[in-house]
Amino acid sequence: MNGESRGIGRPSGRGGGGGAGAKGGAGGKDGGGKRYFFRRRKVCKFCADKIDYVDYKDVKLISQFVPERGKILPRRMFGTCAEHQRKLTEAVNRARHIALLPYAAE
Amino acid sequence: MSDRTYEILFIADPNLGEPEVDALAAQVQGFVEKDGGRLQKMEKWGKKRLAYDVRRHREGYYVLLVVEGTGAMVKEVERRIKVTDGIIRYLTVRVDEELRKAERRKAKRALGEEKRRGRAGSQPARDTEVQP
Repeated sequence: MNGESRGIGRPSGRGGGGGAGAKGGAGGKDGGGKRYFFRRRKVCKFCADKIDYVDYKDVKLISQFVPERGKILPRRMFGTCAEHQRKLTEAVNRARHIALLPYAAE
Repeated sequence: MSDRTYEILFIADPNLGEPEVDALAAQVQGFVEKDGGRLQKMEKWGKKRLAYDVRRHREGYYVLLVVEGTGAMVKEVERRIKVTDGIIRYLTVRVDEELRKAERRKAKRALGEEKRRGRAGSQPARDTEVQP
């Protein structure tokens, strides 16, 4: 990103969202670990809202996780926990079958 | 094993009129009841835009039935739906287990919250003093 070799050394991680915050805070000295300190911690939306059952009929909720292109947002982007991501996938696939959500963008 | 709960959601042909869609819904209800199922709830969502073309239709009437019955009933109902004209897509989902699980989790969380609140109220100060 900004030519910092450590940053490149640990690529994928949890998505590139927090780059801006890390730049200002940790500087170059402290090393890789600290770079992650300032990143906003991602919390699973389903856990936070206490949604136990991800309903395929609830298009309003589900479509937040499905951008226009029609693909499901990966976990690393949205911070959903594994359990809820699984349920979300199931719900999205059901919604797709019944034409509430697109399989792919037109 | 007692009866299970299923959601049957189907899309009716948009070229039909409202009464015809009602008739279709009643027909599906008939399929369910014929095989020993019970209708719990029926919801008509009305005409909605489809996310993609289904059998060359861009729109469709959505009808949701929540039904209690056996697996054999579902099999028969689905077979009948398949041969029914005017239904362009359907989806059957078993929901009882998932909903029960969600219910249990909710209860568990409520319990946990109560406990936490109780503990916080009684003796938080003492705990912090002991630590250093």
